[in-house]
Amino acid sequence: MATYVYGIVESTARAPKARGIGGAPLAMVAGDGAAALVSDLPDGDVRMGRDEVLMHAEVLDQALAQGTVLPMRFGVVMDGSDDVRRQLLERHGEDLRNQLADLAGKVEVNVRAVYEEDVVLREVVSEDPEIARLREAVRGRSEDAAYYERIRLGELVAQAIEAKRERDAQAIIDVLAPETLAVDVGAPAHERVVLSVSFLVDRERLEKFDEVLEAVARDQVGRIRFKLTGPRAPHSFVELGRGP
Amino acid sequence: MSALAGNRFPRSGYVTRSSSSGLADVLDVLLDKGLVIDIFLRVSLVGIELLTVDARIVIASVDTYLRFAEAVNRLDIGESSSEGLPDLIEDMTQNGAQSKTKGVLEGAKESLFGSSGDDDNDDDGDSSSRSKPRSSSRSRSRSSSRGR
Repeated sequence: MATYVYGIVESTARAPKARGIGGAPLAMVAGDGAAALVSDLPDGDVRMGRDEVLMHAEVLDQALAQGTVLPMRFGVVMDGSDDVRRQLLERHGEDLRNQLADLAGKVEVNVRAVYEEDVVLREVVSEDPEIARLREAVRGRSEDAAYYERIRLGELVAQAIEAKRERDAQAIIDVLAPETLAVDVGAPAHERVVLSVSFLVDRERLEKFDEVLEAVARDQVGRIRFKLTGPRAPHSFVELGRGP
Repeated sequence: MSALAGNRFPRSGYVTRSSSSGLADVLDVLLDKGLVIDIFLRVSLVGIELLTVDARIVIASVDTYLRFAEAVNRLDIGESSSEGLPDLIEDMTQNGAQSKTKGVLEGAKESLFGSSGDDDNDDDGDSSSRSKPRSSSRSRSRSSSRGR
């Protein structure tokens, strides 16, 4: 019997009521000072698609509502509950207990900031005389005739936006970070993304964090859009060593 | 539906807020972040490679430059650059809030599930992805290794 692992919780925690992947009920595998939140998988191939990813997330949300949870990455399957106990809970026991203690009362939130396209392009044209000049130079000419000028123009625009991104991202982080315990900056997924960053926040400080973010967003309204996701289990702030 | 009712952020103002249960948000973290251990088996993860695309964009590419060039050319700034900064700022504040993206800087989707929808469209009101950047699919297949 294969066992799917959702996360690590305190040994006193109880399994959430949700069904696990494949429909089996959630169960706990208890260890010393830490327990694994698991469910049985049928033998053989198991479909792992979008529904299963969402189920994993839902289980973690429910676990987080009850206490501290160290989330596993999607797709960790072990060879039965004895294997979970030995290879995960016992082998990594100290690591898990330490992180459960460190992360008690803390949650992760993600902030994504995205430029309003036209606004930032206008800034770039108005601030850089060379971009403005090239823009005039290529306007009205055929694409072929102005091919290299257009490439040069686009290159300058890309560089100008990149410079803006670095300044804006740092400024946003500088304001938000003092409200948080840890910061994990992700790579931007596309050109308009100013930043995507995960913060570890004390639950008690969530409202304050939200207020500060709200003020940042108000300052940048019409120029940068903000999205706040969470709170969720501290995915970006857990790590397992190699064990003894 | 969040189980974190006690910790929900107030919903108001300038920030779009989302509980973490949307697929696009979940994919970002669940596939890349969280605990993994070096001894575990993965039963055949059917179709998992369909779940993500590597949406990183090579910004320093001729294609990107040409799209940027087209984007600034299409801006309605007036025929000459004689438009003063005050006008420009006024323009920005007028257009800013409800400015529609015109697709040139369209982002890659982090997810292939366009239909899963709602959370994918958080970045812009009309992310119809007219000019979708090239994205290479990153195979997520994992060799199923039996634990020792």
